[in-house]
Amino acid sequence: MAAVDLPVPRAGSLPGPEVITVDAGEGCSVRVFDAGLACCAVEVAAAIRRAGTVRPGPGKTSGLNVFVVAGTVTDKLAPFVLKAYQETPEPRRVLSFGACANSGGPYWDSYCVTKGVDQFVPVDLYVPGCPPRPEALLRGLDVLLGAPAGQA
Amino acid sequence: MTPAGIIAAAGAALPSAVRCEAGHHGVTLVSPPGDWLTILAFARDGLDCDFFDWLTAVDEQDEGFAVVVHVYSLAGRHHVLARTLLPRSAPRLPSATGVYRGAAWHERETYEMFGVVFEGHPRLAPLLLPGGFEGHPLRKDFVLAARAAQEWPGAKEPGDSDVPRTRRRLPPPGVPEGWQAP
Amino acid sequence: MAGAVTGTGDLPEAGDLPARSRGVIALLEENCTVCMLCARECPDWCIYIESHKEPVPGPAGGGEGALPPGHGRQRVRNVLDRFAIDFSLCMYCGICVEVCPYDALFWSPEFSYPQAHIADLTHEQDRLREWMWTVPPPPAPDSGAAT
Repeated sequence: MAAVDLPVPRAGSLPGPEVITVDAGEGCSVRVFDAGLACCAVEVAAAIRRAGTVRPGPGKTSGLNVFVVAGTVTDKLAPFVLKAYQETPEPRRVLSFGACANSGGPYWDSYCVTKGVDQFVPVDLYVPGCPPRPEALLRGLDVLLGAPAGQA
Repeated sequence: MTPAGIIAAAGAALPSAVRCEAGHHGVTLVSPPGDWLTILAFARDGLDCDFFDWLTAVDEQDEGFAVVVHVYSLAGRHHVLARTLLPRSAPRLPSATGVYRGAAWHERETYEMFGVVFEGHPRLAPLLLPGGFEGHPLRKDFVLAARAAQEWPGAKEPGDSDVPRTRRRLPPPGVPEGWQAP
Repeated sequence: MAGAVTGTGDLPEAGDLPARSRGVIALLEENCTVCMLCARECPDWCIYIESHKEPVPGPAGGGEGALPPGHGRQRVRNVLDRFAIDFSLCMYCGICVEVCPYDALFWSPEFSYPQAHIADLTHEQDRLREWMWTVPPPPAPDSGAAT
């Protein structure tokens, strides 16, 4: 047998980001744009399945777009994360999920990891954890909807 | 195929410069760089290793760079490692893409991480590192700058925060002795 | 596409989580002798400790000790000035909790403490002590375990 050349895959039109609408009850909804880059993406996926349990605070905002960065941001991928953020429509908030998105996390000393997504995107809320529980994301969405921060 | 069978077949078909070593994971074929494509083609055709697993390099410091390939035979269920050693001053090797197409991206990654040039590669461009990155990160003399530049919280001695440090400071783990932060 | 709608009572509170769940790390300052093992072993370098030495009153000062004055050197002890854990870096590996020889660090299952500013994710001594009140009692040994 000899080496076999397979056809080179060509990307057609790329799919747009999946928008997940989280039902927060009382006629309030939050749209989540998940940049699931690494392991934290699994926890975000688990949280989205329980989406009906977001509890809005007194100043609830409907139609809010939350850009969730879940996972390690590498220097190579950073421009695309920035582009995805810029394409998120207003009103938008950025939620940094997990240690890698907060500050580089366990990979802070790597040669190719961006030390936190806040290096190039303004972050509204940092959710700590490695990975944070899915419920921590939902509590974080509560805070963005107006619930008081701190020990929720 | 048993390790003994592999060694016998290799001994019969390959040039004398190629050594066979049996390890607990299978047989390793060690060759000089000139016979690299020969042993890969033999692994593919003579040993039925149709599954190309990975190609990478090892920085052996003064001895040079060792390039290692792992292939597997799905029918015979045996692993074969192929290994060669390149001089540090001129790390060039013929590309394995003529034998195994799957080596393409592995050779790109080895090129950007170690600086090993694969001649005949269809497109030897960096794969994982961002554009403009200088240096080869997985070489042993590439220092993890963040660990040397950042102050290590564990360097303090108990109870010495306000005492001038006259004892030799512990270097943080991962920083070579005597390396100065930029 | 809305997610599966479940009732609000479905989310676990911290008290429902299994024993030794890794939510946040609490510090019992009384047990800390500033040996610095946790700061040294932390792979992320996220524990910040400041301390100084204080002399312990000796026999001449009316403190403990059976040695007559003039014998033995002045005993000193370490006093903790600052103990902070940066939870924006922490990867919750638990090496600090395991390595502490004096059981000063504990796991607490509290998992929700987001902040709007990353500097607020560095918890100082007072906040780490507050987490102590959320540390559950250790679970009972298994039925076949030796006491």
